[in-house]
Amino acid sequence: MNRTITQLIWLTIVLTLLQVVCNKIILFNVATPIIFIYVLLRLPMNMPKVWVFTIAFALGLTIDIFGNTPGMNALSCTLASSVRMPVFYLYALREDEMKTVVPSITTLGVGNYFKYMSTMVLIYCTLLFFIQAFTLHNAILTVERLLCSSVLSVALLMGIDSLVSTKREKRL
Amino acid sequence: MNNLLHFLIKQYHWFLFIIYVIISVIMLVKDNPYQQSVYLTSANSVTATVYEGIASVTGYVHLKDINEDLQERNALLEMEVVKLRNEINEYKIQLPDSNIQPRLQQFNFVVAHVISNSIAQPNNYITINRGSGDGIKPEMGVVDQNGIVGIVDVTGPHSARVISLLNPDMKLSCKLKNSEYFGSMVWDGGSPQYAILEELPKHMKFSVGDTIVTSGYSSVFPEGVIVGTVVGRARNLTDNFFSLKVKLTTNFSQLSTVRIITNDMREELKALDPNNDKEKKDNEK
Repeated sequence: MNRTITQLIWLTIVLTLLQVVCNKIILFNVATPIIFIYVLLRLPMNMPKVWVFTIAFALGLTIDIFGNTPGMNALSCTLASSVRMPVFYLYALREDEMKTVVPSITTLGVGNYFKYMSTMVLIYCTLLFFIQAFTLHNAILTVERLLCSSVLSVALLMGIDSLVSTKREKRL
Repeated sequence: MNNLLHFLIKQYHWFLFIIYVIISVIMLVKDNPYQQSVYLTSANSVTATVYEGIASVTGYVHLKDINEDLQERNALLEMEVVKLRNEINEYKIQLPDSNIQPRLQQFNFVVAHVISNSIAQPNNYITINRGSGDGIKPEMGVVDQNGIVGIVDVTGPHSARVISLLNPDMKLSCKLKNSEYFGSMVWDGGSPQYAILEELPKHMKFSVGDTIVTSGYSSVFPEGVIVGTVVGRARNLTDNFFSLKVKLTTNFSQLSTVRIITNDMREELKALDPNNDKEKKDNEK
């Protein structure tokens, strides 16, 4: 458990700094990678909700302060963290066994983990980009942006996942 | 009552959730959050330090292009100096008795480096590595070698946040070079290369390629700083005015060194402004 927490803290610091750089990447004028959300995806499922909400809010707020977007990431992050549980149980079949589990490829299987990750990223991107746009004016551009950003983010997150989890899961 | 209390205690994480959502929404929709706090912007010392670190690495990337820009600009200015010198000499020959005095120097420059910059957000900001300790104050104009960049918004001790021209909150008074028609320049949230010059009178004439410069009606920018060139007519929201699409000369994706314009006569001009007196009185109330 202690190792999970230390790993999460390191992950948070590294991914936040990476996100600061990633915020400047706009591939083809539409896709911005969002990778700090990975921390939220990897929180253990048995973590008290109070902590999940607080971590999500703090995480979003940090990104906001770096990016001069007051409230945008904080709001979408907090909202996304509230649907994390339902999305997880949508794909996890053996509910009772899953209660104490950190979502990863080993616990969910590649297919389900990928689905869990894509759903969460899509939800997050939808929230973020519509909050950013704040209107339905230029809605097509917003939808384009959120779809492209989701695809790019999921691809990057799978890469980050393979970097972060290989060592530990090989031991398992 | 007991049941209610029990329920509240059991579900308290949802109350926390609602509180977080409310805080975020307040931050999001607050009318004027930007001037209020240095701590919650990129001008605070922690974020500025991180950005300086990043900028010291990424600053090298565009050096070649920027160098070329500078060379070009330098050549132009040198030509201008030669031209002006010749002109002064001619006048001196024509009017040998007159004493041509240099005009009162009103504007000065402070050079700064851009440490963070965004162009893809709906509201874009730039962070620079000079702050109140270097004499930077809010509402000072910022330019680079190619044209207008923005206006200083929040200052920390050693860093400041600049509202980019690519921010719909920023309106810049501009005019067509060699004519007196003026309007205000606004970014429409689309491409970072183009902006819209609004509120021009309907009877004005223009041709594609005309230069747009600052009007000098505010104390922020001196008159005649290049902003962009006319590309064509823009779609109009109202029928009473005329709008032009302008290609900006500043390359916002490659900002590195900028100059902050300090106006020595700003206080004097501000004191003359009748609106300012009103504000002061309101504040006193």
